[in-house]
Amino acid sequence: MQNKFAKYVLYALIVGIFGLFAWGIYRCHSRIDADRILARSILKDRTFASTVQQIEADGIKAYLLEEHSNPIIAVSFAFEKAGSAYEAENKQGLTLLLTDMLLNGAGEYDALQFKDISEEYGVQIGFSAGADDISGFLQMPTANKNMAIKLLTSVLYKPYFTYDYIGLTKNQMQTALRNQKERPNGILADKFAEIMFAGHPYARPAIGTAETINGLNRADLVSFMRTHFTKRNIIIGIAGDISADEAKQLIIDLFGRLPEQFEQERIAEVDLNTTGAVHYIAHDSPQTITRFVTKGTHRNSSDFYPLYLANYIFGDSGLNSKISKVVREKEGLTYGIYTYMTSKDTSALLSGGYSSTPENFEKAKELLLQEWQKMAQTGVSLSELQQAKNALIASHNLRFASIGGIAEMLVAMQQYDLGADFLEKRNDYVRAVTLDEVNAAAKKYFGNVPDFVIVGTKDSDK
Amino acid sequence: MKMRIRKVMKPKIIMNKFLLGLIFCCLATTATAKIFNAEEFTLDNGLRVVVVENHKAPLIKQMLWYQVGAVDEFRGHGGSAHLLEHLLFRGTAKVSGDEFNRIMEKNGAVSNAFTSYDVTVFHQFADVSRLEVLMALEADRMQNLKISEDDFEAERKIVFQERKQVVENNPSSPFAERMRQMMWGTSPYGQPITGLPEEITALKYADTMDFYHKYYTPNNAILVLSGDTDAATVRPLVEKYYGKLKKRPVERDEQSPLSEDIHQTLQMSLPHIATPRVSRSFMLPPRTELNDMIYAYDILSEFLGGGETAELYRDLVLKKRVAVSAGAGYNYMTRSNTVFSISMTPNTEKPFVPETGVQMLNQALLRAKYALTEKRLAQIKRKISANMVYLNDNPQTAANWIGYMLSMGFELEDVQNYEEKINAVTLESVQKAFDDLLKASDMTAVLLPLEQTNGENNAE
Repeated sequence: MQNKFAKYVLYALIVGIFGLFAWGIYRCHSRIDADRILARSILKDRTFASTVQQIEADGIKAYLLEEHSNPIIAVSFAFEKAGSAYEAENKQGLTLLLTDMLLNGAGEYDALQFKDISEEYGVQIGFSAGADDISGFLQMPTANKNMAIKLLTSVLYKPYFTYDYIGLTKNQMQTALRNQKERPNGILADKFAEIMFAGHPYARPAIGTAETINGLNRADLVSFMRTHFTKRNIIIGIAGDISADEAKQLIIDLFGRLPEQFEQERIAEVDLNTTGAVHYIAHDSPQTITRFVTKGTHRNSSDFYPLYLANYIFGDSGLNSKISKVVREKEGLTYGIYTYMTSKDTSALLSGGYSSTPENFEKAKELLLQEWQKMAQTGVSLSELQQAKNALIASHNLRFASIGGIAEMLVAMQQYDLGADFLEKRNDYVRAVTLDEVNAAAKKYFGNVPDFVIVGTKDSDK
Repeated sequence: MKMRIRKVMKPKIIMNKFLLGLIFCCLATTATAKIFNAEEFTLDNGLRVVVVENHKAPLIKQMLWYQVGAVDEFRGHGGSAHLLEHLLFRGTAKVSGDEFNRIMEKNGAVSNAFTSYDVTVFHQFADVSRLEVLMALEADRMQNLKISEDDFEAERKIVFQERKQVVENNPSSPFAERMRQMMWGTSPYGQPITGLPEEITALKYADTMDFYHKYYTPNNAILVLSGDTDAATVRPLVEKYYGKLKKRPVERDEQSPLSEDIHQTLQMSLPHIATPRVSRSFMLPPRTELNDMIYAYDILSEFLGGGETAELYRDLVLKKRVAVSAGAGYNYMTRSNTVFSISMTPNTEKPFVPETGVQMLNQALLRAKYALTEKRLAQIKRKISANMVYLNDNPQTAANWIGYMLSMGFELEDVQNYEEKINAVTLESVQKAFDDLLKASDMTAVLLPLEQTNGENNAE
């Protein structure tokens, strides 16, 4: 009897163990356990040597990141307080014209020769005008450094600005101005700035107006360049196949002859208070498109990282974001909905956008506002925060994909005053943010209802 | 996911995009070393694998190139290749629902996909330490897709919205799509990759899954891994995750190339259009017939339209002042006919007359023949060589280029010897390419503002 009982127990145990074992095998094969794969992976983490050196030559400071695996050097630079917001009211479009004209002949070379020589030596030179700054970019194979220096110094010290090319470029700008209004997103960009920044220089179209473009002339270019391309407002980032000593010499060679004086006052801070206002611009396009906005926070404020994480979780993590899950993944109302933070010199915004066919538009807006309100009231969960931190930390190295991208990042680090050790400390900054901080930021910023600028057709108009 | 639709208006050459956009070195034209440090192998199940080394940062780009695209869809099922691409993010038997995107996110991977006429491509960019996770997930969704009807419906709505946003909200799209349809006639290359709205609405779950089971198999795919690794390290891992996938016979209809001699004209006036555009596209034989002549056409497109030093810009914009921009492109990243095109945006300071605009573009093309000299050819070759060094900067560049080239039937050798092939192009062969171009089937297209019917100028 006892024996029999023991036998049953034994059988039961065997069956149980076998069952557990089978279930284990089944679990293993029916699920992919990514954490386990990662833990057992033969591929290990490697730290990218991201030591940034702070160098100085001729009174000009710069950040340098040496990387010698591929023989290219990138120099990124920005002239601060020299962007389109610093143009005179009646000279809108000047910085755009200037950035184009810089490549239309300089030093020994006319426009065609200049472009031919640059390409033949693999020297990439480019300028772009933002609202705050004019940015410049120089990239070269290490072997052609001297030619790169020759070309960029020609541009900085002996640009031609021929009347001929000024006429041509102005004409191209007029065409671009008209073309910008072909598409609803072009109209939206324009109207958004005009409405949300009314009375502030950011309200102006960077490309200018037909009238102001028409009025631009050579003297404007010469004088703006003389007053806004100086040693005092330049920020420089250098990356790639170059040593610190060579980089210092490069700074002297390239920028050493810029003027010392700089007297531009910073423009006033944008005063943005949103109340849920809707600005509607009728336009007969298949989809209605919107940009919404409320107050954000500056890159160097203590609210930055908490809001950065809150915004990431709410609308800046692609298909995984709260808002994308609700409006796109679940309901299929739009191809994309997102939010993002911007920090310019004199404005910090929390913005977002989406576009959808008119019959979906209001529903999407309703869901967005519901989620927005929930964000302010209940914030995010600990697991959401942990997922966001994991993502942001795991993707840290992606910023080192290209030498040119690194050089640009070095400029941004200086502009936002993040310190030369930012790249080494950044993951710690992300880790240190607490759930309370994130939810306090969510309450503070998502507590404001965004204003909407909408371009398209209302469903009720159809 | 985001879809890249090949622009129809200005067929882009992938090669040129790399050569002009990313790269612009040394004057040494003799250096014709292999461009990439790359190795290729094939698994028993037929999966072709290329590993490209780039050790700058601890990063990896994984790209899986399925040899199937919009041209393989059943008639009337336009958009199914693209919808299926989206569905691959919606879960498998082993990774349910939104878990795929969650795992990718947690591992810091930038994950996306795109569909073209010839290929459907899934790709991630991530820290190299995460590669095994990427491979496990990518291999899994090759054969284990499991989608609920609800998810299918939601995703169908999303691609419908995508078409509205990316294609239809651009007021010039009807022109581009009409042009494509006229050039390609009944060929599937004439249909939009997104499908037409009514086609998208009619797509069925079962059909889409059939398409998946027919084409998503290791012997119909090319895996490209580019970054901080090497073939010796990564091969056992590729075997581990992809090696167990079963191969299946794949029958893919080869699209017969167009050979009729057709000369067509399209003029369209559309609302919201502010500036006229003029273009001319030439239908050339496929790569398999052209062989190394594609490099001559590649150089010809550089000569005619590679930026602001190229002949059409010099002539139409700088000299004649009849245009504000002018360009050329050669698309040979296709399995069918390659297409060469030239285009301009007229200068509307003076009233624009369509016939005159077309004539200007054509005359500039004919005049360009006289500017094609040994000197200019040597210069173009120098420019291309000088910019090779940038191809090894961002590891994503190599993955993209190699993936495209292999998918279109080129060998890894062709990529590696690209510079050599370019340098071997003679003036005679570029001249021959030029002559053949002028004899090819072509299509002249003019897009006008709706307000303008003929000869009036609506420019402010």
